[in-house]
Amino acid sequence: MGIVMKSVLPLLAAGCLLAGCATPPPQSNKAAFEAYQQQNDPLKPFNKASYHFDNVLDTYVLRPVAIGYIDVTTPGIRRHVGEFMSNTDAPAQLLEFMAAGKPRDAGTTLVRFLVNSTVGIGGLFDPAGALGYHKVYTDVGLTLAGYGVPEGPYLYLPFAGPSDLRDATGIPASIVLNPTFPAPPSTGLTIFNYGSDALSVVNTRAELHGTISNIKKTSLDPYATFRSLYRQHRAAELQDINKRDVATPPAWYSAAQRKAMKHAEYDSTN
Amino acid sequence: MAAYFRRVLLGAFAVMPVLALSPLLAGRALAAAPSAATAKAFIDSSGQKLVSIINGAGSTSQKAAQLRALVNNIVAVDQIGKFVLGRYYRVATPAQRSEYMQLFHQTLAYNITTQIRAYKGVTFKTGRVTSGPEGEMVSTEVSRQGQAPAHVQWVVDTVGGQPKIVDVVVEGTSLRVTERSDYSSVINDHGGQVEALLSAMKRQLSRMQAG
Repeated sequence: MGIVMKSVLPLLAAGCLLAGCATPPPQSNKAAFEAYQQQNDPLKPFNKASYHFDNVLDTYVLRPVAIGYIDVTTPGIRRHVGEFMSNTDAPAQLLEFMAAGKPRDAGTTLVRFLVNSTVGIGGLFDPAGALGYHKVYTDVGLTLAGYGVPEGPYLYLPFAGPSDLRDATGIPASIVLNPTFPAPPSTGLTIFNYGSDALSVVNTRAELHGTISNIKKTSLDPYATFRSLYRQHRAAELQDINKRDVATPPAWYSAAQRKAMKHAEYDSTN
Repeated sequence: MAAYFRRVLLGAFAVMPVLALSPLLAGRALAAAPSAATAKAFIDSSGQKLVSIINGAGSTSQKAAQLRALVNNIVAVDQIGKFVLGRYYRVATPAQRSEYMQLFHQTLAYNITTQIRAYKGVTFKTGRVTSGPEGEMVSTEVSRQGQAPAHVQWVVDTVGGQPKIVDVVVEGTSLRVTERSDYSSVINDHGGQVEALLSAMKRQLSRMQAG
């Protein structure tokens, strides 16, 4: 926690200097103070500024590109691109699951990476899913969360979008964990990196196209809606990881005992 | 003998209040969450009706009217509206409350209408049912043409003696929790005035009607 705070404090300070922290309402105004605490968004001025920056970027660059991309691709292609991207992320996730002490998910990730990279032609297809090794997800932020690091105040980062103090702290580590990071530098690799990063951004934006335009159309305060959705989604991801984190029934258990144990904790269909 | 009678009488008096309360208790038990089977059957039949309207014949406006009637029948709109307003429900005046409820119903109706075309060709299948704190959660897989199937959970509770949908959970995000933070943020930004939310809702409605 000390290290986390130390590395993030400069970031926080920079955010405050750039845009100023929100002033909390006086404690005497109970309703307003409670609402302020519940929002947990003391960097709101900075966050809103980056939200607007991203919005302009999205309106003039990302959204038109994504719409063009949707026009020239089929849903199938977009799904395979997404699967390829998540397969390149598997080695990092394997390390994160191991660091988090989640052996079952680490095993699932390893099998998925091996099967999908070979039989699944570099991750374009997902034969491991058909074998019963369904997709699992983690990242550095969720690993920290597993150690009890609280999410901290909300952050909206330019280019990176919604985040929080804990998850933003994990961004440098996730860059280092990318499989292309330790590879020796070469022109080919650089081109691949730019290409795959751009494709990943566009593909993700295209997959979220309907959702994002819906939220912007139907919500009164899209900024607050995205904030709430981000937090709920992260909490659900963490809950999923913890739900799957159960012991394997020992081989010497009777069938009834194994069944009882499995039934109580783990449902392989989920 | 007298002692025996006294004991019986005392016993009867002791039991009487419980007997008198029993219809109430039974009523309470009925008002609790519906059984998993009831919830699943309810979502199944409601979903079939929804799909048959969306994929059926008729103009968009006809479908919209049918959908609105169906939604009012299967969704606990008033309960959701009250939840969404949250703590500000207590602060609001009776006039504000009724205006808010009216606007909430209208907003929902418009949201449904605008979604009809996007959901053409929709199919769904129900899956597991789990018990949650808010009611029974029925998992479904909703498939649309040209899109990856979405996992949607419907939270079913007994409202007014009938099973009703009280929340929708998509990818771990609850619709009514999200709505609540959206609405409360508007009220917060305007110094806790419920009136600000009402005018924002009105503006949104007129924008939807225009577009």
